[in-house]
Amino acid sequence: WFPALEVLDVSGTGLAELGAELLALPRLHTLLAKNNRLGGPGSLPKGLGQAPLGRSLRVLNLSGNRFAEVPPALLGLRGLQSLSLGGNRLHGIPPDIQELRSLEFLYLGGNFITSIPPELANLPSLSYLVLCDNKIQSIPPQLAQLHSLRSLSLHNNLLTYLPREILNLVHLEELSLRGNPLVVRFVRDLTYNPPSLQELAGRTIKTRNVPYAPSDLPENLVRYLSLASNCPNPKCGGVYFDSCVRQIKFVDFCGKYRIPLMHYLCSPECSSPCSSASQSSTSQSESDSEDEASVAARRMQKVLLG
Amino acid sequence: FRYTRNLVDNGNGKFNLMILCWGEGHGSSIHDHTDSHCFMKILQGNLKETLFEWPEKKGNGEMTKKSERVLRENQCAYINDSIGLHRVENISHTESAVSLHLYSPPFDSCNTFDQRTGHKHKVKMTFYSQFGERTVC
Repeated sequence: WFPALEVLDVSGTGLAELGAELLALPRLHTLLAKNNRLGGPGSLPKGLGQAPLGRSLRVLNLSGNRFAEVPPALLGLRGLQSLSLGGNRLHGIPPDIQELRSLEFLYLGGNFITSIPPELANLPSLSYLVLCDNKIQSIPPQLAQLHSLRSLSLHNNLLTYLPREILNLVHLEELSLRGNPLVVRFVRDLTYNPPSLQELAGRTIKTRNVPYAPSDLPENLVRYLSLASNCPNPKCGGVYFDSCVRQIKFVDFCGKYRIPLMHYLCSPECSSPCSSASQSSTSQSESDSEDEASVAARRMQKVLLG
Repeated sequence: FRYTRNLVDNGNGKFNLMILCWGEGHGSSIHDHTDSHCFMKILQGNLKETLFEWPEKKGNGEMTKKSERVLRENQCAYINDSIGLHRVENISHTESAVSLHLYSPPFDSCNTFDQRTGHKHKVKMTFYSQFGERTVC
């Protein structure tokens, strides 16, 4: 048909499926199919990932349709840079989303998504992630591995706190959190289960650097010892395995907003590394020892909370 | 990655005329208008305007919503500090929106408010572009 076609916009045409004729378009890099009736089986042509279209497509906009799940056919689009499924009927995100290795822009706002798979963090180039207007209750700490993330939109969800690891998102410039039931007062998890004897032994081995070789222990214990997590409290060199205290501490951002972050500490006696900053803005601070939170706070110039 | 403010005309210092471009899901914070008149006209798409009462001086609770409405293409709105505060947002997940804003006298800073506490914070407003040229900050 049109072998030189690069951009195709079939938005608002009432389409219930995108035909196989599109597969042969080798130059098509932008396909806009917003506000249609796509969503049923066969909405996208079979073999999309392997077709010429699958290799050329960079931008795909399927917002305003009726998708109840991310169509598996599009997970083969290894060159796709921008995907929008805003305003559909998604209840979740498939872990195989990590197949979209080139994805930089992902818009999933306005769906019914309840949780985020940690595999989303495996997208190496993701810089703009929109999850607003969903039903998300928690953010997996693995999202902190999205080193290229610059903008994260989480407004109007069901979040009560964020994982402390969010401070590790070095390039994050924008974060929207309004319209979430974020806890405003200090909350401590009262049900602290005391550690098992195995855990206590494991902690001692790790913190005292008791030497051991794989031949000294059963394989399952060697594996167990390798799973030690470091207590984030900088004054505590401790580790923990399964038994930890969940604690919510507030981090001041630019002296403006107090964001509740969830910490895992090795014991109730440990204190969190992120102490609540003072009320006044510390942007002119000359002190050498920067609280990790104020470093992150200065980076996050556009925390949209209010 | 958020809405852009693009200055079109500064009327010899008497007013600022600018075009705001809102991507899907983009919204502003709750803000005041530094004692100026503010007119807004929707050029493309739709924008939701939520009006808020000024927080109490000693207030430390959720801000009170006065009203909300969706402004359609070509509709106009007006606000000033005696009317209240507002948040403007593009709630569409499929369409972007464009609005024309007239502020008189011009102002380059305002207060933004935390909806949960009423605490205000002064911010400097910046332009993404001025007279068609990208503003590098």
